[in-house]
Amino acid sequence: MARESFDKEIQFLRMLALAGGAYSRQQFAERLGISVHTFDKTLRYLKEIMSTVYQRLPRDQGKELSEGLRYNYYESADPLLLFLFRAKSLKESESIRLSLILTTLQLQSLTAMEVMDACSGSMPDDFSLPDEKTIRGDLKYLEEIGVIVRSESGRPYRYKAANDLVTQLSDEELIDLFDFVDIMANTQVPSVQGYLLRDNLKKALRQRSMDATVTEPFLYKYHYHSRILDEAHLYTIFQAIRQRRKLRFLYLSPKRTKSYSSKNTNPLFERETEGVAEMLLPLRVVYDHQYGRWYLIGHNSRQGIMKFRMEGLTQIEEGDTVPEEEFSHKLANLEEQLRHSWVTDTGRSVRVVARFYNPDRSGANFVKERVLSQGQWGTITEETDSTFLYEITVNGIFEIKPWLRSFGSSCEVIEPASLRREFIAEWKEIQTYYEPLREDL
Amino acid sequence: MNLFEKIFNYQVISRLDEAGSLALTSQERGWLKTLLEHPASSDAFTAGTLAKLQLLLKAEANTEISDVIIEKVKSHERQVYHPLLRTLRRIMIRSGGIRLNYRIKHGGVKSDQTGFPYKLEYSMIKREWYLIWYNTHHHMLMSTKLLNIVSVEEVSLPSDRVEMLKAKLADLLDSRQEQAAIEVVRTYNPELSRILYAFSCFEKTVSYEESSDTYRIQVTFLGDESEFLLSKIRFLGKRVRIVESENLKRRMQESASKALARYGVEEPNLKRL
Repeated sequence: MARESFDKEIQFLRMLALAGGAYSRQQFAERLGISVHTFDKTLRYLKEIMSTVYQRLPRDQGKELSEGLRYNYYESADPLLLFLFRAKSLKESESIRLSLILTTLQLQSLTAMEVMDACSGSMPDDFSLPDEKTIRGDLKYLEEIGVIVRSESGRPYRYKAANDLVTQLSDEELIDLFDFVDIMANTQVPSVQGYLLRDNLKKALRQRSMDATVTEPFLYKYHYHSRILDEAHLYTIFQAIRQRRKLRFLYLSPKRTKSYSSKNTNPLFERETEGVAEMLLPLRVVYDHQYGRWYLIGHNSRQGIMKFRMEGLTQIEEGDTVPEEEFSHKLANLEEQLRHSWVTDTGRSVRVVARFYNPDRSGANFVKERVLSQGQWGTITEETDSTFLYEITVNGIFEIKPWLRSFGSSCEVIEPASLRREFIAEWKEIQTYYEPLREDL
Repeated sequence: MNLFEKIFNYQVISRLDEAGSLALTSQERGWLKTLLEHPASSDAFTAGTLAKLQLLLKAEANTEISDVIIEKVKSHERQVYHPLLRTLRRIMIRSGGIRLNYRIKHGGVKSDQTGFPYKLEYSMIKREWYLIWYNTHHHMLMSTKLLNIVSVEEVSLPSDRVEMLKAKLADLLDSRQEQAAIEVVRTYNPELSRILYAFSCFEKTVSYEESSDTYRIQVTFLGDESEFLLSKIRFLGKRVRIVESENLKRRMQESASKALARYGVEEPNLKRL
């Protein structure tokens, strides 16, 4: 059976998170390339999941979902988009059975037959009683995903919930663990599993009567919340890379022109029919901290190295494997080409030199601190008391340009001359954006 | 490994919640095991707890996924953990007050500052920790780098005082909220995704006017965060224009004319003024 695809839900949530509130139903559906009926259905489903998962959310959250996902920085510590990963569809009888089995095994180890008896006793009346084969199947599944463990002693095997990680810890230790998981899930990538674990630990703390003051002490400033949506594809890609296996997918990229800007136009707002079928040997995944976006980088026999925004990947399927030698050759080649990429540009390398001006005010030199912290492999040479030079060899100027520009008048581009000219032209134009109207003078 | 496991299904989770049951999967434990190898773990746990956790996770497989991920343009990771996190967060659990000694920007140490801790905040940009607290002597909301804290001790507070301080903090945060509206310059609508991604780290709403095909981003931020917002706006260059917030508009104009001055370009407008 083909794996259930969450492409639609992911696109849907991404649009809500990014452009929240901007569109009417009609406009929203149009941009996703779905009917208004499908829009309504998807929204209803997502609302249902959200209200089930976040029972303690304020009442108007359902309304907010249709108007966009808005974070109130000081009030929500839970990663709202995590509920995407709760979207796997399941028959009600199965969801009841799985939770009954797990609940039965929380505190005691039981054999399959004992589990079956316990479940039969607690199954609601309107559902048929599970047979032995079904229960054994469920136990096998739960054991495979590591939620329960089978005891070492011989047959009949006994099963128990795998909760040692929580039950073996004192209250103090559990708080430390919660903090660690919260901090690592928020500051490192990938994070979805960390957030899932955080949910579990939060529950465990609540069971020990420790409330929100315990579970919400931390804030993370300037977080890219939507980054976790792209992690949905991460494990499929990881698996394929491990197995040296090609991937087939439909890429929702718009125009195929060569210009940089059009390469970055949003595939999200394009209709599915405009997608392009691609076949690629995946080599690496790039996470761009400037935007909180993911890229898939791989090799395609016709075009060589190719880069795709993860958000444009849909209908991913596994293809054939390639010999190890071919894979490592291509990987080595890619790594060499990415060495000087500010993000993913593998074009011709350019030497960029910029003069930075230290702030006039005394105290911390935040210009230099930022250049040191974000300037990647570039080097700094002191020039005068008030300036220093930053030099870097980088593939193409397109990716580094916004970063240099973000420093405003603290940065003067020296080389290449063409980039210097571009900066002058851009600042002139930006200046016109804010000129007082002449009529006023 | 699959992030869309049946066991993560929302109905299962809600039933488990009701029954007070846990479902810990091996992928969650594997993630933890991998992260425990991060140097931050030694600041996060006592040696005893860390050893205990490692033992509990001994049988798990590491997720080696970081091998295939290349992180780009990440700020230098000054710290992920800070030794004071554990101390401060314990004081916060007890709703305790604090007495701080901390270094200030221009040198020197402020000593015996009393206050009430509110949150511990990590800046994803600077990659370091701050304590947000209310200074009860100066009646001010403070944000102090943990790196700059020389010493901290707990001061016990009566519970009615705690409630009052919490209310005061909420008011203060509200009063410092500012708004700005940023418009996407229409020519750059095809780059909308990138622009929205850049603003996705702010509290914001987006509106769209179909007749003029114009997008507007309404950003809510705290006063002292305007510098970061401005750097984002400069980052995007000609793509966006501030349409509401006189203060930010003036700052952008200054930025542009000062930048042009660096290149030796005189601008007639300012001179005339």
